[in-house]
Amino acid sequence: MSERPTAQELVEAIAEFLSGEILPTLTDHRLRFRTLVAMNALGIVHRELEALPHVEDAEQRELVRRIRAGDVDQGMLVRVKADVEARLRIASPRYLDRYE
Amino acid sequence: MTTVLTDSDDRTEMREALEALLGPVSDPVLLAGGASKEAWAVDAGGERLLVRRAAVGVIHRHTLSLKHEFEVLEAAVEAGVKAPRPILYIEDLDGREAFVMERLEGETIGRRIVRMDVPEHLPVQLAEELAKIHAIPHERLPFLEEARLERMIGELDDVGEPHPAIELGLWWLRENRPPPRMPVVNHGDYRIGNVVVDQRGLVGILDWEFVHVDEPVRDIGFGLVRAWRFGVDEKRLGGIAGVDAYVERYNELTGIDVRPEELDYWELAGNVGWAIGCLTQAQRHLRGQDRSVELAILGRLGAEVEYEICHLLEKAA
Repeated sequence: MSERPTAQELVEAIAEFLSGEILPTLTDHRLRFRTLVAMNALGIVHRELEALPHVEDAEQRELVRRIRAGDVDQGMLVRVKADVEARLRIASPRYLDRYE
Repeated sequence: MTTVLTDSDDRTEMREALEALLGPVSDPVLLAGGASKEAWAVDAGGERLLVRRAAVGVIHRHTLSLKHEFEVLEAAVEAGVKAPRPILYIEDLDGREAFVMERLEGETIGRRIVRMDVPEHLPVQLAEELAKIHAIPHERLPFLEEARLERMIGELDDVGEPHPAIELGLWWLRENRPPPRMPVVNHGDYRIGNVVVDQRGLVGILDWEFVHVDEPVRDIGFGLVRAWRFGVDEKRLGGIAGVDAYVERYNELTGIDVRPEELDYWELAGNVGWAIGCLTQAQRHLRGQDRSVELAILGRLGAEVEYEICHLLEKAA
């Protein structure tokens, strides 16, 4: 499944937040140093993610095309919901508790 | 709202620009909030004011310009709606479009409101204000666009990512459309989180940038979307109450008889709209229009709304 922002894009967003919004407000030397170390660590994560294989979303695109054309079958909702649930287990796992 | 740090130069320029128009003002404070528009709190002449100003380089599709938003506020206040009183439209405030309005006192943060001891008549008050908004004649605001459900498809296509759950939601909405009603002026974002509340009840309605023309029940259903219940899911109306008193009062005032299946339909439509909204916001970050970790993460949190769409579709089947 394809997910935007990708993990790599999320890491970039956090790095920009730290360098652009947090670092300029820090006056404490120790905190500044530790923030720079944290940004270095994010750089490592970013490069490691770059090495991962690209995720193919052709199957999702085909499914979306079918639904748009009105070609909806009985079992489709169950499969789509299971897919959303799998994405939620990464993006926001506690949200699922709200449905128990 | 929380206060964020701002460049002191920016603050000084804002103060000077405002003083040229309003006379002496207090030191303006930039409030956190909407990314497409800045909000500054400032006091002048003993009045609490809020200055809304366009952010740098942001062009947002399907939202009103500040000039039109100002005119909408004028029409709303004229119609007796509890809304911030518009004070002054400014074509050029230090290089950008802006307007000044009254700053209402009270709570706006949704997750706090649902935990507050809100008065029992709040749902009835929400219905009364909505009925007044829907009674504003379209001719009074001729620039308002009709924003049909079909527009959501275009917005999803602009995102360009495959999201089968949203697509199923759109399909269901096409297949199960209730008989059309006469279009009215819709607030477009009528929900807990966009209203000011205090111990006595409703203080005012905020966030008028999505005003458009569509069926009345669309506005009623939007406030039921689970995301706007802020964790108090068993209270379908924005985490504060069930829907009965709200809908009954609305029906009483408008002579419309909103049917339960229409509410369900527009609640689902509200979820589909917000799911697409999450993706659109994330795109603003990804396309570099507005780099922000807050916008970025919405691209992932949209999965919560997609899950709710699936849940509602299961219930409807």
